[in-house]
Amino acid sequence: MSQLAHTLGLSAAGMQAQATRLRHVSENIANADTPGYRRKLVPFEPSALPTDPFGARSGVQAGRVGLDRSELPQIYEPGHILADESGHYLGSNVDLLVELADAREAQRSYEANLRMFDQARQMSQSLIGLLRK
Amino acid sequence: MDMNVALAARSYGAARPLTAPDPAGGAGPQTAAGRFAETFAQTLGTAETAARDTMISGADPHALVTALSEAQLAVETTVAVRDRVVEAYLEILRMPV
Repeated sequence: MSQLAHTLGLSAAGMQAQATRLRHVSENIANADTPGYRRKLVPFEPSALPTDPFGARSGVQAGRVGLDRSELPQIYEPGHILADESGHYLGSNVDLLVELADAREAQRSYEANLRMFDQARQMSQSLIGLLRK
Repeated sequence: MDMNVALAARSYGAARPLTAPDPAGGAGPQTAAGRFAETFAQTLGTAETAARDTMISGADPHALVTALSEAQLAVETTVAVRDRVVEAYLEILRMPV
């Protein structure tokens, strides 16, 4: 029973991490046209759950947000308010295709965690259901 | 006949202390049943706190779902155990004397 309760906590941690990831993906997409914006990267790291034994870290959490250090693209638009003498300004290094793929992956991982949560709950319920017969 | 009535009265008098409530014993916090009840109340309290926090301050809904699932399982366990206990008690009451 405690193992199944632990599974519930693990799945909830996974869902929370994927939700955080999706939030940063949506930030990136919202700022895709912001000049000088660098896309945010969300690393995942192990975390300790309340049901873990001392020192064990079996859960997952979204870690410190990092910035994509790749080159910002030069966009030619002489009329732009940020354009320099050559008519270029720095755009954002957000690639919409990459962000959409990332969002889809977050969705799939979230669903996987959701299914695990549901399965652990159903197993607990059928275990308790044995008492009623 | 008179002797029998006196004997019965004496027996009842002797049996009376057995039915008196015992403040020291019973289902206190020390027994297994008491500990179970405490854990049960604690689980329900956690679920209620999580629900309140989510409604009022918009706390994380994942924590709410986890807490509510644990509370639901705890309630189902308790109800199942209670049903079994009541059933066993009724079975004893149906015993032909």
